[in-house]
Amino acid sequence: MRSRCVSFATILLVAVSVGGCAMFETGQTKLQAVKTVGIISAVGGELSFATAGLTGLNGNASQSFPIAAWGLDDLIVQQATTALNGRFQVQPVSYNRAAFAAVKDSPVTPVNLVRGDPFKKLVQTEVSPQGLDAYIVITKAKSNFGRGAGKIEGIGFVTYRTVLASYNQIHALYEIRVFDGKTFDVIEKRSAPALDDAVEIRLPGPTRQVDDSYSPGRGEPVRNENLHRAITDLIVRSLSTTLSDMHLADAR
Amino acid sequence: MVGIGGEYKPDFEGANRAMLSPIPIFAIRRAGSSEQFRGPRDSPSIAFLDFGDLRAGPVAKFEAARKQFNYSELNGLGDVKAAVELGGFVEYYPVDWFRTRVELREGVVGHNGTVADFSADFIVPVIQRLTISAGPRFTWESTQATSPYFGIDAVQAMTSGLPLFNAKGGAHSYGAGTQVSYRINPQWEVHSYVEYERLLGDAAASPLVTLRGSPNQTTFGIGFSYSFDVKIR
Repeated sequence: MRSRCVSFATILLVAVSVGGCAMFETGQTKLQAVKTVGIISAVGGELSFATAGLTGLNGNASQSFPIAAWGLDDLIVQQATTALNGRFQVQPVSYNRAAFAAVKDSPVTPVNLVRGDPFKKLVQTEVSPQGLDAYIVITKAKSNFGRGAGKIEGIGFVTYRTVLASYNQIHALYEIRVFDGKTFDVIEKRSAPALDDAVEIRLPGPTRQVDDSYSPGRGEPVRNENLHRAITDLIVRSLSTTLSDMHLADAR
Repeated sequence: MVGIGGEYKPDFEGANRAMLSPIPIFAIRRAGSSEQFRGPRDSPSIAFLDFGDLRAGPVAKFEAARKQFNYSELNGLGDVKAAVELGGFVEYYPVDWFRTRVELREGVVGHNGTVADFSADFIVPVIQRLTISAGPRFTWESTQATSPYFGIDAVQAMTSGLPLFNAKGGAHSYGAGTQVSYRINPQWEVHSYVEYERLLGDAAASPLVTLRGSPNQTTFGIGFSYSFDVKIR
């Protein structure tokens, strides 16, 4: 009986290992066949301004400010194009940026698992030209912030209030998907990682602590050059790392 | 996240003696999410519904078997089988620093009773690294969930020397808890907590508690944990 259990466990282990290798190979193999790519970015249209920790009684309200004038999506496409050009032939694509930026996860978690990737249909219908080998889609990512209920998304500024002090943090949370240009299945997907561990409130993405001069609460956020520069720096530094992690670009 | 902790808690529910035991700490979060507040009494759960300030989903709790030969106070009462309770939870954050939570569980293995746990926690960040939380607790249990642990039937009365007692359900306990967590660096965190519970109703009135135990139940815990990323390709 014991030997049968051991045999079964061995077969299971081998099956899982082979399955894992097969999955690994599928992504790699598909990427090897890719020659032409188009890049879509819908990260940088808005900047959120939220408070967390010891907030007032108005709860977890956050504000959004338009920052399209910063041209962050164009910057992302340009940086990604430079990073990928050695390996792929990057072709310009036109797309409905608002449609990509409007996609939200369902609050019912199983629905997200069942309905499949929300950007798949958009790549098919809102991007031209069609027929490239792959499409790289860069969109906002979402995360909890602090210990409470606060959620943050994309590009933003958070003030975290504690009993003894307040802290400001900026973030640029985004994720990158690679869609097969024929089947529109996701070949690769990854969130931009944290750049370093210097921040106290850990976020699963590029973030850094800043002083009050970066606050969008001071004047028009779009005219805040400190904030603009700092956000741009987060994106530029993290983008090449993320593309390298996905084996889309050479490590720098 | 992995870690190890120690918990100094009553030998069994209603006992007046306590014992230190090790507890493993293990949690998995989806990539792109960060750690949220968790109370020491929270049962393992998954949020299937997540609006940020309102979360809900399934919950499960395992209650270890109570063996009469492990503790002299239980001699003659027989063993109580291990129990598995399944159910759901809802938690609501009216503000970022205040959480209310309800767990409603039904015994599917062991007892067949119903248990409802209510808790509220003020979550106060003192500095970025140090968070203190505290709040009240209340538990309601049905008769089927109470009687295996606090009822004494004729056979048990004869063998244990305790008087016959028909334990009914109802308000089971109230109490309070507090937790302190300190983040040493982005990976390491240390935490400690105290949970006090005062048994109510037939749980408190059971001869097991009045003659051999105590309605005051206090648990102390301490632990440290390490968080890390796992990249799966």
